[in-house]
Amino acid sequence: MTSSTETTLAGPPGEPGQIADSGTAAPAELAGRSPGQLMWQRFKRDRTGVISAYVVGFFFLVGIFAPVISKLYGKDPYTLYGTNEPGLLNDFGYPIAPNGGMSSRFWFGIEPNLGRDVFMQLVYGIRTSLSIAVAVTLAVTATAIVMGVTAGYVGGKTDYFIGRVTDLLMALPAQLFFVAVMPVVTAVFVSPVDETPTYLRVVALISVQWFLGWMGLARLLRGQVLSLREREFIEAARVTGASSWRIVRRELLPNLVTPILVQSTLMLPAFVTAEAGLSFLGVGLIEPTPDWGRMFARGAEVYQNDLTYMFFPGIAMVVFIVAFNLLGDSVRDAFDPKAAR
Amino acid sequence: MRRTRTALLATVAAGALVLTACSSGGGGGNSTTENKDAKVKQSKSAQQLAGQITFGDDAASKGPAEPVPGATPGGTMNVLERDSYTHLDPGQIYVSNEGQLATLIHRGLTTYKLDNAGKYTVVGDLATNSGEQSDGGKTWTYHLKDGIKFQDGTPITSKDIRWSVERLFAPFITNGPAYLQQWLANTAGTDYRKLLPDGPYKGAHLPDTLLSTPDAKTIVFHFPKPQTDTPYLFAMPGYSVVDSAKDTKQAYDKAPVASGPYMIKNFDQGKSMTLVKNPNWDPNTDSARHQYVDTFAITFNHQAEDSTKRLMSDSGENQTSVSFDNAVDTDNTPKVVGDPAIYKRTVAGYQPFVGQIDFNMKRLTDFDVRKALALAIPTKAVYQALGAEYGAEYAGGFLSPSLAGYQKADPLGKAANPNGDAAAAKKILTDAGKLNTKITYAYVNTTAGQQYSVTIATALKAAGFDVQRKELPSDTYYDLIGKVDNQYDIYASAWGADWPSASTVIPPVFDGRTIADQAPNYAHVNDAHINSEIDRIEALTDPAAAQKAWFDLNTYIVTKVIPGVPTVYYKQLQLFGSKVGGAVYNNMFSAIDATKLFVKQ
Repeated sequence: MTSSTETTLAGPPGEPGQIADSGTAAPAELAGRSPGQLMWQRFKRDRTGVISAYVVGFFFLVGIFAPVISKLYGKDPYTLYGTNEPGLLNDFGYPIAPNGGMSSRFWFGIEPNLGRDVFMQLVYGIRTSLSIAVAVTLAVTATAIVMGVTAGYVGGKTDYFIGRVTDLLMALPAQLFFVAVMPVVTAVFVSPVDETPTYLRVVALISVQWFLGWMGLARLLRGQVLSLREREFIEAARVTGASSWRIVRRELLPNLVTPILVQSTLMLPAFVTAEAGLSFLGVGLIEPTPDWGRMFARGAEVYQNDLTYMFFPGIAMVVFIVAFNLLGDSVRDAFDPKAAR
Repeated sequence: MRRTRTALLATVAAGALVLTACSSGGGGGNSTTENKDAKVKQSKSAQQLAGQITFGDDAASKGPAEPVPGATPGGTMNVLERDSYTHLDPGQIYVSNEGQLATLIHRGLTTYKLDNAGKYTVVGDLATNSGEQSDGGKTWTYHLKDGIKFQDGTPITSKDIRWSVERLFAPFITNGPAYLQQWLANTAGTDYRKLLPDGPYKGAHLPDTLLSTPDAKTIVFHFPKPQTDTPYLFAMPGYSVVDSAKDTKQAYDKAPVASGPYMIKNFDQGKSMTLVKNPNWDPNTDSARHQYVDTFAITFNHQAEDSTKRLMSDSGENQTSVSFDNAVDTDNTPKVVGDPAIYKRTVAGYQPFVGQIDFNMKRLTDFDVRKALALAIPTKAVYQALGAEYGAEYAGGFLSPSLAGYQKADPLGKAANPNGDAAAAKKILTDAGKLNTKITYAYVNTTAGQQYSVTIATALKAAGFDVQRKELPSDTYYDLIGKVDNQYDIYASAWGADWPSASTVIPPVFDGRTIADQAPNYAHVNDAHINSEIDRIEALTDPAAAQKAWFDLNTYIVTKVIPGVPTVYYKQLQLFGSKVGGAVYNNMFSAIDATKLFVKQ
C-alpha cells in the first residue's frame, strides 16, 4: 500500500497507464512477495532439499499407489508363494535361490519360512507405516496448536493447568507406555473370541502415539505466542476491538506457520521409526498386515542365513529417514535463512 | 510334568541392525546339496529307539561300565552352559540341565545304562538291580551294592535312602518331582505333604507299611497301588541319594554331598563351576558311568548362538569344549550340517517333547469339525522354525519316539502331508454342513508365533473355517490356555515325558478326571474309553503289554477322539570340540551323555 502511494506521488505527471507500464519492471521485483513465496524461492535454490523432497515424494507415491504397483507387478503381499510352490524354500524355510531368492519373478526375493514376496511386503509395509505416521502427525500438530496457543494466549490458570499436564505427559516414558497400553487398548474393545480388527489396531497405534506426541510442539508454540501477544500489532488489533478468535486466526497463526511446518516435517520420520519400533517389539501391527517394522524384527532373526531379507527394508528405511530429515532442515533454512546451521 | 516354552517358538530377536554390507546373504541352497551323512545319522538315532528299553537284572547292573572305545583318562574339559544351576539338592532337581549335572555327581537306586551298541537298559545304580516287584507291582524291593560311598568315604546305607525319601515331604522341597510322594500317599496334587508334614527332621518317619528298611542294605517300598514304572521312577535325578548325616536342609541346595564319579570343587553361582574326580566313587559299583576326565570346567551364560559359534570355530580351548545342554542354534544349523568337517562333530537325538495343537473339547464338541481341523492344520512352519529335521520330526501321534516300545504310526497322515490337506477337510465340513464354523485360534504373540499363525489361519480358511486369530502375550500364554473356561478353540502346547513310558504322557494329558485350571489336559478331553483304558493299563504288570496298550490307546485318541493334532517331535543337535571323545547322545537325558566323555590326548 505505502509503496504504491509513494510511486504515484513521486512519479512525473502524465498518463497513469504509461507511468505504470514504465515503472513496473524494477519496483515490482522488490515488492509484492509474501514470506511464503520468499521461502519457496530459497528452498528451490537448496539442491539437497529439492532432492530430498523428490525422494520423500517418491515414498509417498509408492505408498499411495501400492495397489496399482501390486496389479502391475502381478503379486500381492498375502499369498504364501514359497509355501504353496515347492522348490522356492529349502527344508529350513530359507530361499533356495541366491540373494534371498531374488529373481525376475520375485524382484526383492522371497520371505523366509512363509515365502511371501518381499517387494510387495515392502511396498505395502511402507503404505501402512506412512499412513499411520501421517495420521499421527496431523493429529499431533492439531492438538499442539490448540493447546499451545490456548496456553500462551489465555495465560493465567489455563496456562498453568495445560503446562502441568504437558509436564506430566512428558515425564511418562513413551516407549514403555506404548508397550504397556497397546494390548490393553485392543483387549478392551474386542470380544475374547473374535479377532482384533486391523482398523482397531491402527486406531490404537495412532491414539497412543498422539497421546504422548503433542507436548513438545505445544510448548514451543506457547513460547512463541507468549512473545507475540505483547507485540504492537496484537495490541493494535485488540484496541480496534478484534475478537480473540480473530486475533488468534489472523494475527497469531500466520506467524506460527514456520515452527509448525518445520517441527512437523521433523516429527513425521520420528513417528515412522516409532511405529516400526513398536512393531519390532511386537506391540504394533501383527501378521498378516504388512509392516515395515516387523520386517526388521524378522530380518534380525534370519540375518545369519538370509541377509538380503533385512537389506531391502533396511535400506529403504534409512533412505527415507535421512531424506525426510534433510527435507526438514531445508524447510527450516528456507523459512529462516538467518538461523545458523 | 514338563512343558516347554520352545513350543511357543519364542525365539528372541537379537538386536536389530541394518547391515549395509554387500548382500551375499540368502541362498539357503537346494536341499539336494545338503549333507547326506546328516540324514543317515538322524535316522540311525531313531532306529536305536525302536528297540525296547529293558529293566536290567543283577548282571546288567554290575560294574564297571563297558569301556568307551579309545578312551584315555585325564585332561580338563570346558563346558559351555547357558543357565547356571539353581538347585543342586537332589530333591529339588527337575529341569533338564540340572538333571544332566546330576548324572555326574548324584546316584540313585536306578539309572539308565547306554551301551556301546546304543541300547538302553534301566539298571540298578546304588541298588543291585532295577528292582524286584511282588504283590502285583505294589511292593518293590531294592538291595544296595557293596562299596558305595559318599564323597567323604561314608558308606551309603538304607538309612540314607529312607532319609532321602522322607525329606521330600518337607516343606522346603518344592521344585522336584512329586510322583514318589503321590504314590506313597496315594493322592494327587500336593496333598501328599500331610503324610509327613515336617519330613524326617522332627523324628517322624514313614510307617513300615509304606517304606521299610529291614537291614542296612535293604529297602522295601509298599505302594497302595501297583506301580510298574518304579524302575524308571528311581532313575529320575530328583530321587538321588542324600547324605542323612550331612543334610543341611536348605543349604544342601548349594553344597550337596556327591555320590557320583565327580564332586563339586567350587561353584560361583551364575559364573562357573568346577567338578573334580570323587576319590570315593568306585567304578566297580557303577555299570553306567565313567571317570575319564580329570576336571570339568563349567562356565555359564553362553547362549546357544555363542556356544555354537565357539564350537564351530574349534580353535584353542574350544577343541576340548562341549556343551551339556545347549543345542546348535537354529540359525547356525544350516551351516553346521552343511559342512562335513563340522557336522562330524555333532550328536543328535530326541527331546522328550511333543508339540500339539489342542482342540478345546468344551467348545468344539462336533467330531467332524475336529477331524477337519486336524486334517487341515499344516505343521511345516513349526518344523522349519525348529531347524527342520535336525530340530524336529513330523509327528503322527502324541507319543514321542523316545518312549519305550515306540511304534511309528501316522493314522491321520499328518507326517506324510505337512502342508495339511485342505481339500479333505473342506469335504468333511461340507458333508457335515459345518462350513464357516467359527474357530478362535489363540497363539503366542512373538514374531515366529505370528508367522506360524499365518500359515495355520491361511490353511484353515482354505478348508472353509471362519478363523479368528487371537494373540496372547508370551509370558502368560500357558496361564491363559490353562484355564478350563478359556474361550479359545485351538491353541498350541507341548508336553514332555518324565521317563520313557507313555504313563507320564497319556494320564496327565488325556485323563478327563484331571481337568482343572492349569492342569496339562489343555484340550479338556474327557472320554470314558480313555479314562477306563488308563486305569486298565496302569494296572498291567507286564511292561511290554503296557507299552503296546499305551500305543493302541494313542491311536484311538488320534483317530477316534481327536482332542488335538500332534505337530512335531522335538529333536536336538549338539556340537562338541575336535578333541572331545566319547560323545554320544543319550535320549534318556535328552542331551549329550556327560558320563562317557573323555579328552583326546
